Amino acid sequence: MATIGVPPHADAPAAPLTRRRRFGDPAFRWTTLVVSVGLVVMLALLLWVLADGGWRAIREFGLHFVIGRDWNPVAGRETYGALPFIFGTAVTSLIAMVLAMPIGVGVALFLNESGAGWIKNPLAVLVDLLAAIPSVVYGLWGLFVLVPLFDHTVEPWLSASVGKVPVLGGLFRYQGPGGDMFTAGVILAIMILPIVTAVTREVVSVVSTETREAAMALGATRYETIRLGVLPTARPGIVGAGMLGLGRALGETIAVALVIGNSTNISASLFKSGYTIPAVIANEFREATSAGVHRSALLFLALLLVLIALGMASVSRLLVRRTARLMGDDVAAQEEAASSTLGLA
Amino acid sequence: MKIHRFARPAVIAAAALTLVAAACSNTSSTSTSSGSTSGGFQGTALNGAGSTFAQPLYQLWSQSFLQKEPDAQINYQPIGSGGGIEQFTAETVDFGATDVPLQSDEIGNLPPNQNYIEFPTALGAVVFAYNVQGVDTPLKLDGTTISDIFLGNITKWNDAEITSQNPGVNLPDESIQVVHRSDESGTTAVWTGWLSAESPEWASKVGADKAVQWPVGTGASGNDGVASGISQTDGGAGYLSYDFAVTADLGVADIKAPDGDYVAPSIDSISKAGGGLTFPIKSDTTIINSSTKGAYPVASTTYVLIYTDQTDQSIAQTLVDFWTWSLTDGQSQTEQINYAPLPSDFAKDALKEVAKINVNGTPVTPTSPTG
Amino acid sequence: MSATVSTFEMPRTISSQRRTKDRLFSIALWASVVIALVPLLLIVYRVVRLGVAAISVNLFAHTALPASLPGGGLKQAFLGTAMIVGLAIAFSVPLGVLTGIFLAEYGSGRIAAVVRFTAEILLSIPSIVAGAFIWALVVVALGNFSALAAGIALTVLMWPIMARATEEVLRLVPTELREGGLALGYPRWRVIMRIVLPTAGAGVFTAIMLAVARGLGETAPVLLTALGNDFVSTNPLKPTDAVPLRVYNYAQSAYPAWRALAWGGALMLLVGVLVLSVTARMLSIRQQRRMR
Repeated sequence: MATIGVPPHADAPAAPLTRRRRFGDPAFRWTTLVVSVGLVVMLALLLWVLADGGWRAIREFGLHFVIGRDWNPVAGRETYGALPFIFGTAVTSLIAMVLAMPIGVGVALFLNESGAGWIKNPLAVLVDLLAAIPSVVYGLWGLFVLVPLFDHTVEPWLSASVGKVPVLGGLFRYQGPGGDMFTAGVILAIMILPIVTAVTREVVSVVSTETREAAMALGATRYETIRLGVLPTARPGIVGAGMLGLGRALGETIAVALVIGNSTNISASLFKSGYTIPAVIANEFREATSAGVHRSALLFLALLLVLIALGMASVSRLLVRRTARLMGDDVAAQEEAASSTLGLA
Repeated sequence: MKIHRFARPAVIAAAALTLVAAACSNTSSTSTSSGSTSGGFQGTALNGAGSTFAQPLYQLWSQSFLQKEPDAQINYQPIGSGGGIEQFTAETVDFGATDVPLQSDEIGNLPPNQNYIEFPTALGAVVFAYNVQGVDTPLKLDGTTISDIFLGNITKWNDAEITSQNPGVNLPDESIQVVHRSDESGTTAVWTGWLSAESPEWASKVGADKAVQWPVGTGASGNDGVASGISQTDGGAGYLSYDFAVTADLGVADIKAPDGDYVAPSIDSISKAGGGLTFPIKSDTTIINSSTKGAYPVASTTYVLIYTDQTDQSIAQTLVDFWTWSLTDGQSQTEQINYAPLPSDFAKDALKEVAKINVNGTPVTPTSPTG
Repeated sequence: MSATVSTFEMPRTISSQRRTKDRLFSIALWASVVIALVPLLLIVYRVVRLGVAAISVNLFAHTALPASLPGGGLKQAFLGTAMIVGLAIAFSVPLGVLTGIFLAEYGSGRIAAVVRFTAEILLSIPSIVAGAFIWALVVVALGNFSALAAGIALTVLMWPIMARATEEVLRLVPTELREGGLALGYPRWRVIMRIVLPTAGAGVFTAIMLAVARGLGETAPVLLTALGNDFVSTNPLKPTDAVPLRVYNYAQSAYPAWRALAWGGALMLLVGVLVLSVTARMLSIRQQRRMR
């Protein structure tokens, strides 16, 4: 039982309400309220500032901004179409999801369901460490280790093997050395793995013991228990975990900027260099002149990005809570699911 | 209102960290400062930003100038020529640096009623660098060929256009991996300006600017990013400033001058190209394709932008002192890091520009008279 | 509240097909663990190996030098990060704790639900967006890149973390303590500040560490707000350097000396972040034991 310092007797309050106390409570509550609302105001301000800055670009290009393929800052030929960045963002995030989801869910299931107790805590710590590594360190490692490795070994091999398959092989055509979307996708997968694992873990752990024990009593194997008993209920939550991971992948800037090759391509091959929305904002922001529409275009991209990321986070929240609600244990489960995202924000 | 018990130590810790930072700054903060001043003006901290081409030079000058004025911490951040112009326009820096003179739309975007000076500080060149196994002598290339490489019309090193200019050189059947800039850059502007002059196809398809839509290639950030990209890629090729190419130990091509000779970039051939410079600097001031014999065709210069009407005396004095020193004593340091000095007459004219800096109408004269 | 199955005995009458599937499943789980750990080990190994080579007195005692001069270091970057993170702590801790208190203690109404939702989705905000936002707000207004702007940009990221973490930690404090304090006649605010918060103290400290661990390694917001500086800066209203920013720039440079410094900076970032995370975890385990 926690011990608390008992307040000094001199302060022992008497029955009548002193003036200090009468103002103390409302004032305190009001202060915390104002500060908390300030958080919401900050978000609103953020959206407004970006919309205000990006307005010029939207007015000038309209819908073409989102579907245009040309990003040309040359004075006199200025045109800004964001499709290459939307494409690159989508492709790298997709690669990241395809790689991170199975592994993340696998690790989460391992941590939760597997018997070997000695490995659980150290493993959980190690996965958390993955989450704590700063983006620039990932980028540095990606640039000097992953890019050469992929360029010299992995991509040629994949191109020679899977690349020969008709239709699908076009994804794996080797394009030459340098950063590319595949490498960026792999780095992103490593980076979002911890959050997928953590949220999946919490979601899966919420599924009550009764379901498991019932399955056991019926003679199910561990695999069957998980597949038939745990996963169906946990599914919305796992999708939610995926969306959180996807949201993180969409917004990741520095590591991607260092390994993606920074070229506005829309190509079928994953091994071609590409560009993402956060990367182009990071590269071009400080030099985008306000003389033309360049700066405004970048601010509008930032607005698009934040709307997508926050949108995914909202949907994810709904899904994670849906699993908890399915188990009927609303409040506690919400807390569990929410607190898991904290250590890995 | 009482702050939470743990917030107080946190705030104290934050304050302590800032105090530590302050304390540390009072100690000698660089390894090259010395006490060799005569007790005159000590200088103050300045911030400049812009061209990555000028980065090695300005950072070297900045360190050397600390010997003269130990408090003149001139922080130069290479964010690209476009960034230099933009931050100069936004007045977030004390001086801007760009490899291309201000263009008319940029001039129109400057704060109204603000006079400024624009002067070159040194000469350099943009070279065609490459990393091809087995090629140890400089390749001879002309403007059309190089344009075709960047257009994607030529994709292999043993293409006829290249081999015809380089008989006897064993060029491999390897793909050309083009590397270009991903950030806005004066180096790009100079390079694409030259490509536009050499190739009508380039001029109409792509054009010349600090950032363009590259038909082929991967993007790298800064001159150093391009150097790094080329050196780590077999068959890599790209354009970058001469000093970076020398430092990165890459192959550098001899480029065909207007008179038909193939000229290799060197301090000498670059200096020859600078003869055409005069004031006033206009938007189309350029020293590419100089008519002087033996001049390197893709020579360039780099400019500094400063508002003449300053309000802070220390900053103005440091600006005047630093750039006066750079245009005189500093010129002797250019060659050791592979830049070329300005023609001496032209440097004197540049000094006259610097003399226009004033504080509230009073001209600022350099602290120590220089020869 | 994790459901663990203590024993799992397979009945002898399981068909071999089902048994095989179960075994394959176990193998798949083990495989995913191994695959997950490989990058971590590779990264840590490489950063430690190359970073340690760059560790010297120079790294900490010298400021940045042009590549043409030997002996440069990262001193201005370490001090710059200290200043930026210090400012971010000074802003985000009070803001975050007050928000957390509101959510935990007064948190049942509509307003609280909106605030809670906002805080949670803000956890996923892309850091580059925070940078662009604060650039437009602070850098433009001040007319300057500055440590202050960078600190505020980090605050945008750290405030939601602090708020949610503080709320979680305060909720763990048993209601009996609150009721006891109120029964003694204490005003609500006193109960919170003198009883609840101190009890959750270690948890709040943990939250601060996690928030700092996040802010320490952020490059994108600093990229757009601080400009960078080759010299030590003590003026929060002027441009400053930061370790992640310097590592980012040096990583893309063509000079081996600068690249070596990049690895050194990366190692220091890794060490800092790991120390904070591990300490936070240990503290929170202790705190949870206390609460039981």
